[in-house]
Amino acid sequence: MKEKIREIIGKAREEGRNFLLEMEAEEIFKLYQIPVPETVLVEKEENLVSSGEKLGFPLVMKIVSPQVIHKTDVGGVKVGIKSKEDLLSAYKSMIGEVQDKVSGAEIKGVLLQKMAPSGGREVVLGGLKDPTFGPVVMFGLGGIWVEVLKDVSFRVAPINETEAREMVDEIKGKKILEGVRGEKPVDFVSLCETIANFSRMVYDFPEFKEVDANPVFLYSDSLLCVDARIILE
Amino acid sequence: MNKISLEKIHEELNPFFEPVGVAVIGASLNPEKVGYGLVKGLKEGGVFSRPGLKGFSGGIYPVNPKVQEILGIKCFPSILQVEERVDLAIIAVPSKFVPQVIRECAQKKVRGAIIISAGFSEAGSEGKKLQEEFLKVAEEANIRIVGPNCLGILYPPNNLNASFGLTLPYTGKIAFISQSGALADSVIDWSVKEKYGFSALISYGNKSDLDVPHFLAWAALDRNTQSICVYTEGLNDGRLFLEIAREVTLRKPVVAIKAGKSTVGTRAVSSHTGSLAGAYAVYQGAFKQSGIIPANSLRDMFDISKGLALMPPLKGDRIAIVTNGGGAGVLCADALEEEGLVLPAPAKEMIERIDDSGLMHPAWSRNNPFDIVGDATAERYKIVLEEAMRSELYDGVIVIQTLQTMTDTVKDAEIVVECFRKYNKPVVTSFMRGQFAEEGIKVLENNGIPNYDDVQEAARVMGALGKYGKYLRERAEQ
Repeated sequence: MKEKIREIIGKAREEGRNFLLEMEAEEIFKLYQIPVPETVLVEKEENLVSSGEKLGFPLVMKIVSPQVIHKTDVGGVKVGIKSKEDLLSAYKSMIGEVQDKVSGAEIKGVLLQKMAPSGGREVVLGGLKDPTFGPVVMFGLGGIWVEVLKDVSFRVAPINETEAREMVDEIKGKKILEGVRGEKPVDFVSLCETIANFSRMVYDFPEFKEVDANPVFLYSDSLLCVDARIILE
Repeated sequence: MNKISLEKIHEELNPFFEPVGVAVIGASLNPEKVGYGLVKGLKEGGVFSRPGLKGFSGGIYPVNPKVQEILGIKCFPSILQVEERVDLAIIAVPSKFVPQVIRECAQKKVRGAIIISAGFSEAGSEGKKLQEEFLKVAEEANIRIVGPNCLGILYPPNNLNASFGLTLPYTGKIAFISQSGALADSVIDWSVKEKYGFSALISYGNKSDLDVPHFLAWAALDRNTQSICVYTEGLNDGRLFLEIAREVTLRKPVVAIKAGKSTVGTRAVSSHTGSLAGAYAVYQGAFKQSGIIPANSLRDMFDISKGLALMPPLKGDRIAIVTNGGGAGVLCADALEEEGLVLPAPAKEMIERIDDSGLMHPAWSRNNPFDIVGDATAERYKIVLEEAMRSELYDGVIVIQTLQTMTDTVKDAEIVVECFRKYNKPVVTSFMRGQFAEEGIKVLENNGIPNYDDVQEAARVMGALGKYGKYLRERAEQ
C-alpha cells in the first residue's frame, strides 16, 4: 500500500507538482479506508456520456489539470448534473472557463463523481504539521462552524478510535451530529474510524504538508468524503 | 525510538534534588547579587524567612577567587579546590565564562549543573554559540543541565533551595514545573501566605538540555510528589513529551497550562486548515491525549493539582451534593454539569432512612442536591453524608457549608474527614471561607480534604477527578 502511495507522490514530483490531483488524493484516501465517491476519469470527450450514464445521475464534474489546485475558483467544479444534456453542456462550459481563467492550463480531462446524497451533515478533517508535535489531525463541523466559530479540535497523529471519539465529543456543535429536531444521529462509529484512519495516513507520510477532507458528509449509516486535497512538502 | 525509562531519567536527575554537595560558582558577598542569594538560600532556605524554614544539611561550597568567606562558609577559588564530593553546581557567572566553568565541573565529576546566568540562546548568535559550546562539554562529561536563564530548583522535603527563589515553600505533595522563573517566585510568595505546599519547584528557563518531559519523569518517581503541574510556553520535542507524559499519567496526575492562547485566538481563520493550526489548540489536544488536565489559569491549575494530590480519581461520573444552602447547591450543580458530571436522584429507601432519623428539617430537599437546610446541625450532615458516601449511586460527593448562626463548622469538618477515611470515596468541600468559617477549614486542610472557597471551583476540581479517572479506565482497556 505504502509503495503504491510513494509512486503517486513520485509521479507528482516528476511533473513538478507540489500537490496531488484530486483523483490521486482520492486513491490514497481509499487505501486508508476513507470513503470517497465513485469516480471515473474521462480523458476523451467521446467517453463522457457513457461514463456518466454508467455512474448514474446526479453527477459532479471536476476539472483535472496539473495547473489547477483551487478548482472552484476557476469554474472547475459543477454539481447537480442531472441528465445527458446537462453533462454535455457542463463539459463545454467548464473546459472553456478553465482555459479562459488559467492561461496555458493543460487539461487532462474531467472527473465524474456520483453526487453525494443530500441530507448529510458536513464536517471537515485536516492534517498538518505542527512545529513542535509534527503531524497533527484536526476535526471540526463544516461551513460557518469552522470558519467563524473555530469550533475545532486537534490531536497529535496517529490516534485510535477512542481518541477520535473524544475529539468529536469535544466540539461545541456536537449536538448537531447527535441530531436536532428529530434527526437521527450520524454514524459515529464510521466517523471515528475514518478520523483514526486519516490520522494514520497523515502520520505515515511526512511528505504530506497538508491534507484536507473538506467537506465530509455524514449520514446516519455511512459517510462520504467528497473533496480530497493533499499538498506536498 | 527506544522505550523511555522513567527510572533512568529519575536517577540522572537525582543530584538536582538530593545532592551530596553543592557548589555555588559566582558566589558573592553583595546582597544585591544573585550569587549572594544562592548561598543564603542554600544555607538558610531563603532570603525571606518563614516559620520552620531550614537550610540544606549537605555540603555547601561557595566559589569565588576574590572572597574568603560568605555567610560564615569557607569560599573556594575554584571548584577544583574543593576536596569533598560535589555533584551539583549552581552557576551564576557571566555567560562568557560558563563553558570554562562547565569544563571544571566535568573535571570535578559534577553530575548536574543549574545555570542561572542569562545571555545564551535568548540573546542572539554569540549567546547561541556559547550555549552550544557548554552543551558539548556537558554532554561529553555526562553532566545534565537545568537552564540557562532560570531560577533553579527548590526541593522542600530535602530543605534544598538550589535557586535564587525567595524562600523554600512549605512542604507539600505537588511538584510545579515552570518555564518562567519570575512566575515561580510569585507563586512561592503566594504559596507561603496560603500555606499551599510543594514537593518541588522547578524553573527550567531556556531548556538547553532538560525540558518538561525529563522533569515529569523525575516527578513521577519522586516519593514526595502526589500530583504534578506544568507551566510551559513551548516545548522542544513534542513527541518526547507525549511519550513520557503518557507513562507519567499512569502513575500520577498532571495538570498543565500553556501560555500563548491569544495569538491564535485572534488569528484570522479560513477554512484552510493550515491557518487553523494554532500551537495552543494543538497543545490542548496533546494534553488531553496524554491524560493531562488542561488548566485555564494558574489559580485553576493549583486548585486542581491540590484535589488530584489528595483524592483518588472518580470511578464514574455520578456526584452527590450535600449542602446547607440552596443557592450554593444550585450553582454547584450548574458547574458540575458543565464538567460533564451528573447528579442522579437518591433512591427511595435512602430518603426514607434519612427521614426516619427524625433529625431532618421537614423542608429538606429529598433530592440531589441534598439541601439539608440552613439550620443544619452536624448530626444532619452526618446522616446525609454517610448515606451519600456509602451509596452505590454516587462516585463522589461535594460537601458545601455556608456559615449560619447555628453552624458548628469544626464538627462539620470532622464529619467529612471521618466519612472520607471510612469510605475512601472522593470528597471535595466548599466550606465557604471567611473570618468565622476558618476554624473548620483548618480541620479539613490539616486532614487532607481539598477545600475551595467557591462552589464552582469545587465542581471544577471534581470534574478533573472525573477526567483523570476516565482516562485511566480507557488506558486500562487498551
